[in-house]
Amino acid sequence: MDINLRSEGNVTILDLQGNLTIGAAEESLRQRVEQLLATDKKYLLVNLANVPMIDSSGIGSLVKSFTHAKNQGGKVKLLKPTKLAQQLLSITGLLSVFETFDDEATAVASF
Amino acid sequence: MQSTACLHVTDSFGIRRTVPLLKPVFTIGRKVDSDLHIMSTTVSRDHGEIVCENGIYYLVDKGSKSGIFINGQRVERTALSNLDRITLGGADEYQIQFIAANNQQADQFSSIDGLSSGEGQLAAATAKEKLKNLARYVEINQAFKFSLAPDDVLTLVVDAAVELAGAERGLIMLKGDGDSLAFKVARDNRRNNVEQRDFALSTRVVRQVLAENRTVILNTTPGDDQQMQSVYNLSLHTVICIPLHQFLMQATVGVTSTLQRKLLGILYLDSRRETGHLSQTNSRLLDSLAFEASKALENARLLHEEQEKQRLEREFEMARSVQVALLPTSDNIPQSKHFELAAQSLPCRYVGGDFYDLMALQGGTVLTLCDVSGKGISAALLASVAQGVIEAQFYAGASPAEVSTTLNRVVVNRSDANRFITMFCSVLGDDGNFSWVNAGHNPPILARQTGEVEMLSTSSLVLGAFDFAEYCVTNTRLSPGDVVFIFSDGVTEATNGSDQMFGDERLQNLVQRNKDRSAQEIKDLVMSEVLAFTHGVPQGDDITIVALKMK
Repeated sequence: MDINLRSEGNVTILDLQGNLTIGAAEESLRQRVEQLLATDKKYLLVNLANVPMIDSSGIGSLVKSFTHAKNQGGKVKLLKPTKLAQQLLSITGLLSVFETFDDEATAVASF
Repeated sequence: MQSTACLHVTDSFGIRRTVPLLKPVFTIGRKVDSDLHIMSTTVSRDHGEIVCENGIYYLVDKGSKSGIFINGQRVERTALSNLDRITLGGADEYQIQFIAANNQQADQFSSIDGLSSGEGQLAAATAKEKLKNLARYVEINQAFKFSLAPDDVLTLVVDAAVELAGAERGLIMLKGDGDSLAFKVARDNRRNNVEQRDFALSTRVVRQVLAENRTVILNTTPGDDQQMQSVYNLSLHTVICIPLHQFLMQATVGVTSTLQRKLLGILYLDSRRETGHLSQTNSRLLDSLAFEASKALENARLLHEEQEKQRLEREFEMARSVQVALLPTSDNIPQSKHFELAAQSLPCRYVGGDFYDLMALQGGTVLTLCDVSGKGISAALLASVAQGVIEAQFYAGASPAEVSTTLNRVVVNRSDANRFITMFCSVLGDDGNFSWVNAGHNPPILARQTGEVEMLSTSSLVLGAFDFAEYCVTNTRLSPGDVVFIFSDGVTEATNGSDQMFGDERLQNLVQRNKDRSAQEIKDLVMSEVLAFTHGVPQGDDITIVALKMK
């Protein structure tokens, strides 16, 4: 999985490309989020539009990122979750925790 | 490998050779055409012989003047045992040792027979051929999974190197985790261990080998210049120091791959003899020595890794049996006149993050199914903790909501936060009241006797992710004939060769169509349908099922 970074004002957008599943992918997302938080980039929007597959470990890395950001006064929000991602977030009760958006501009403005 | 008996003979010059006992009668004496010719005036011309009868070797005194001895005892005719030391009266500068047939370690040495004998230079090609036996020996051990401690291999390598080069002593030092070299094994040419403190080595030579990564030979005489001072001080006359390498195949872009060398350590040989053979050792022989010694060490390392892997596999097997024993099986799954229960868990690795628990308590029967995110040992460890918490809580009289809240707190506080647990946790009363909490778990399927299908879902948060999560109980009334099918996502996400998932719909239809069967039949049917669906594709996740059928 690749992660490309973009900035919109004080919001950093993480464009994920590839499967967010157990192993290297979830690991790299967590590390990338930690790096960003360490450099004071606290408002993170994770773009899931190009993540065809996501599993419980992938969800775990989103949860970890969310908690990590929250503990440092930051926020992690989700952009364009796929149907599968929405289903998983719904089953796991995480839709009540994560703010999700279908529109990037709205998402950026919400921080 | 040689399978005949032989003698290890070390002469007064300290030169070793191995003499196979190929004849039924093997003569020993001062006579030039003796099978073992001893050049000593105190030895008789026909001193003794070794006679082989029915596979047993007898040492016989042929009427010598000074006698013949086994391990210091004078004998007339006595059967030889492996490693017996033979002495000819008055010729005690000769060391003779009997090596019985099929003694593997001895055979290994014998294959390197005579390479260092002073009877002339050996062709490097022959030497190389003999040397290869050492690496082959380790390979054979590896192939047959014989136990061979790495230190034994080091000893074999040093002994062979000392013998081949005609050195007096040899040692091996290997790199540890850092760059420093650690003393491993030192041996002399009589195959005795040499203590590290007795082996003063030239650090200058070692440094040079490490710096230049090539074999260094130093011949020193009292007239050598200042640079050789440390060697001179050690009164060494010849030193050979050989770098040992690990050879790594490295794939490069395209189809080619290259052989990379990584320095493992050094093989250090020295000789104090003024006319030592070390100085005559030719460079091709040394190259062979360096390569084969490295290969033998590498083989030993691979063997060690293989053994380590097998040890780990045994540990995994034990872990698996511990985990399996934690789950109720057909013997102790609660049954009642009101309902039937069936359950099974198939970890995709040795151990898994799924588990179920079924307990008959006073307030009702507990049905729990949990899935720890991730797989394998890390997930299994957390699963065991969770199972313990759940059981203890239920025994203490907690409700499914209280159990969920407590477990959530435990996992939030005690785990690395990258993991969470999804759980379906319920208590079934004899009156058919079913109280349940769904903490982020795949909704179980409730297939009613009437044909309706309900999903037991409340969108409560997973356990272990957030300390603020709250859980409340939902009550559902179950009637005779109703089926509750609880499962982990390994069932619906089971994937076939075309990357298709088994899916929720297929599972719902299957359960609904078979709701009139027994709990056991429904569980078995789904399990076999899932395995048939994924036919040939390795199981990607733990698969766990609990089936409840109301009577």
